[in-house]
Amino acid sequence: MLRFIAQRLVAALITIWVATIAVTLLIHLVPGDPVRIMYSGFQTTPEQIEEIRTRLGLDQPVWRQYLMYMGRVLQGDLGHSIVGDQPVLTTLLQRFPATLLLTIASLFIAVVVGGSLGFFAAYRRGTVWDFGAMTLAIVGVSMPHFWLGLILLFIFSLSLGWLPVGGSGFMNLILPAMTLGLANAAILARLTRSAMIDIFDQDFVRTAQAKGLPQTLVLYRHALRSGLVPIVAMLGLQFAYLMGGAIVVENVFAWNGVGRLAIQAVFARDYPLIQGFILFFATVVALASVIIDVTYALLDPRIRYGK
Amino acid sequence: MIPDRLRHTGPGALALTGFLTMAAGPALAGDVIWARYGDIDSLDPHRATSTLSMQVWDQIYDTLLAFDEDGAAVPNLAKSWEVSDDGLSYTFMLQDGVICHDGTPFGAEDVKFTVDRAFGDNPSLTMTNWGPIETVEVIDDLTVRITLESTFGAFLPFLADSFSSMVCLSNDDDPDFGSATAIGTGPFKLDNWVQGDEVVLSRNDDYRNFGKPVENDGPVQFDRLIVRTIPEAQTRLAALRTGEAHIAEPPFDDIPDIRAEGDLDIVVAEKTGQNVFWQFTISRPPFDDIRARQAVAHATDPEMAIDIIYGGLSEREWCPIARGVFGNDQDFCQQYGYEYDPDRARELLAEIGFGPDNPLNTTMYVWTGGNRHMLAEIFQAQLAQVGINVSIEILDIGTMNARVREQNESPDDPSPGTFDMMTWGWYDPDILYALWHSPGAYSGYTSDELDAKLELTRELTDEDERLEAVQDVIRYLMENAVHIGLYTPGWEWVFAVRPEIEGFKVGVFLHPMFQDVRLTD
Repeated sequence: MLRFIAQRLVAALITIWVATIAVTLLIHLVPGDPVRIMYSGFQTTPEQIEEIRTRLGLDQPVWRQYLMYMGRVLQGDLGHSIVGDQPVLTTLLQRFPATLLLTIASLFIAVVVGGSLGFFAAYRRGTVWDFGAMTLAIVGVSMPHFWLGLILLFIFSLSLGWLPVGGSGFMNLILPAMTLGLANAAILARLTRSAMIDIFDQDFVRTAQAKGLPQTLVLYRHALRSGLVPIVAMLGLQFAYLMGGAIVVENVFAWNGVGRLAIQAVFARDYPLIQGFILFFATVVALASVIIDVTYALLDPRIRYGK
Repeated sequence: MIPDRLRHTGPGALALTGFLTMAAGPALAGDVIWARYGDIDSLDPHRATSTLSMQVWDQIYDTLLAFDEDGAAVPNLAKSWEVSDDGLSYTFMLQDGVICHDGTPFGAEDVKFTVDRAFGDNPSLTMTNWGPIETVEVIDDLTVRITLESTFGAFLPFLADSFSSMVCLSNDDDPDFGSATAIGTGPFKLDNWVQGDEVVLSRNDDYRNFGKPVENDGPVQFDRLIVRTIPEAQTRLAALRTGEAHIAEPPFDDIPDIRAEGDLDIVVAEKTGQNVFWQFTISRPPFDDIRARQAVAHATDPEMAIDIIYGGLSEREWCPIARGVFGNDQDFCQQYGYEYDPDRARELLAEIGFGPDNPLNTTMYVWTGGNRHMLAEIFQAQLAQVGINVSIEILDIGTMNARVREQNESPDDPSPGTFDMMTWGWYDPDILYALWHSPGAYSGYTSDELDAKLELTRELTDEDERLEAVQDVIRYLMENAVHIGLYTPGWEWVFAVRPEIEGFKVGVFLHPMFQDVRLTD
């Protein structure tokens, strides 16, 4: 098992390393002079522009810029933001808990709603219930987060007055988590349905039924446990997907996470902050994947033995 | 670099601290909530230039001078001043009894600290706009003298603008100043700033107004001002309707409905200093020829376009500097302006070899947001009628600024030169110096003659003489079709206000003022 964890960690480190190369090159992929774009206000004198170029190391060859960047990153220094001159790592860490909370809440909604819907559709396979549940799933997959968010806002805040519009308290979490969770529940519903249909056709399920076990026991103890394995494998991908979706949803509901920070950084052309965000995001997703892989391996020993 | 204070706690503790501070407290009965699309960049007036930041500095800090309702600089924290005969030394006499938010008295040392800081190791982003300051001397507790290297006509107006906000000496050596703390003498004290989320300000009971055009010269009449960031326009409008926000910029397309429903008041800022104008790549064809520039000006009808898109919320602006700014005179500018005249545009194009069989192809850059892309489409259609084929590129303002400069700096580029709908907001005609004096903010049109005229607008301090110099520059810019005014205002100037808010007003140059605001039932 330790060997398996070590392998996953090495793979995660390689992903993060590739991300460091990408963020170093990012600033050079922008058309035009990045310093002039960042400091586009005319109040900045040519001397200040040159000083900034030197400070950011942009007057050095790219390979040296990369080594300088890595040297700083390894010391936990992601630089300072252009806007407001704040330490990038501190800013990201301040905002990250809000995004993590939103992502976990959304994942919970996605699993509960999507799993139940998929399980139900599989159990009632071929009926109008199955058709209805899967139609709902297709609608959910097709609906942009932005639009679903505004619809929920209109219903629950403006019309019913049950939930606040935007902000960062607990009640404010419900709408964005629903928006993000419901859209992803649709994907999980379809996945759960196909996984469960496969399981229902397996011999061990038929054997359990033939033994005369109660249907509830067959469904929940035998079928569902086995059906969970591919769903757990999907959660890693879902986590990354939800983190990405948070960028849009946080903006709609004024939820103060790293997603909104990323949008602000892009609009402000704040390259150190954008670079920090990409590296941070890649690290979080890579580590989340390791955790999911390990959980997967624990659930299904065939994975850790490479069978 | 991680500050020491945070490094000892480690990332986990830091993250937890971040989350705990993120959880915003509920709004209280005496709170006014102002929702805006973006956050401030910094609490430090030397570290940002955005309108969003300035509008919050206005609440925390005060300035030596203030703008009156006409945009003239009048006494404020400085109750009077004397100027030496050579126009180089300004001696300011400060108001007695002004108190910083930490309880220390405000005086000459605070002024010296602020100005020295603007020119220090990490100078203000608007350092050049302070003017050629040589020294700051403390004469006594309430008298300070600022000496310039050369005369500077925009010096006094600058001291009324938020960029010159007076920062109390107590902020010195505070590593958190600008990011977590800010001590000034303005109507509100900073409670806390949750970056990206909200700035919470509480009433400064010691505040006194000396020069701002408000009726209430004492402390504000409610407890807290919460400046909240709600980026999405429809969400802001929803927050206004549910009462989660009291004041916010509404989506433009909803303004007619809001007016028709009558539940919210619409406040439109005037004399914002904002100017939207045509400027051109003059380093290569076709706009190196004045006739091509004039043809664009004659072929476009800003009055019709803004009427369609903004429906009376914006006005035709003939001058290169906007209404409210010293030197703006619509009648004067119209003499040198370009009336909508498609026939004249066709004649000018024919003179330089363009016609129905040989259309002028070019690109127009437009700043994203504020429905400006829709204006651009109207202009595109108008230009097509005279044989100018325009492709539109919508860019964020920073990229657009950089792209315009690059265009001017590429005289050998084989593609046709571009033009753009540029936007600037400023409180003084000194903006023209920043834009057009060699080498120019965008490396655009420059000439020795224009440089000399612009230098005069800086050097002259006599009002009448300066007015003449400014209008001479305006005439030159318009006759040479360099900077052609289109309309004003252009961004962030419309506010929707809930009915329980009384007395909200927006001062000149887009400075919202809360001194007269009262919360009613």
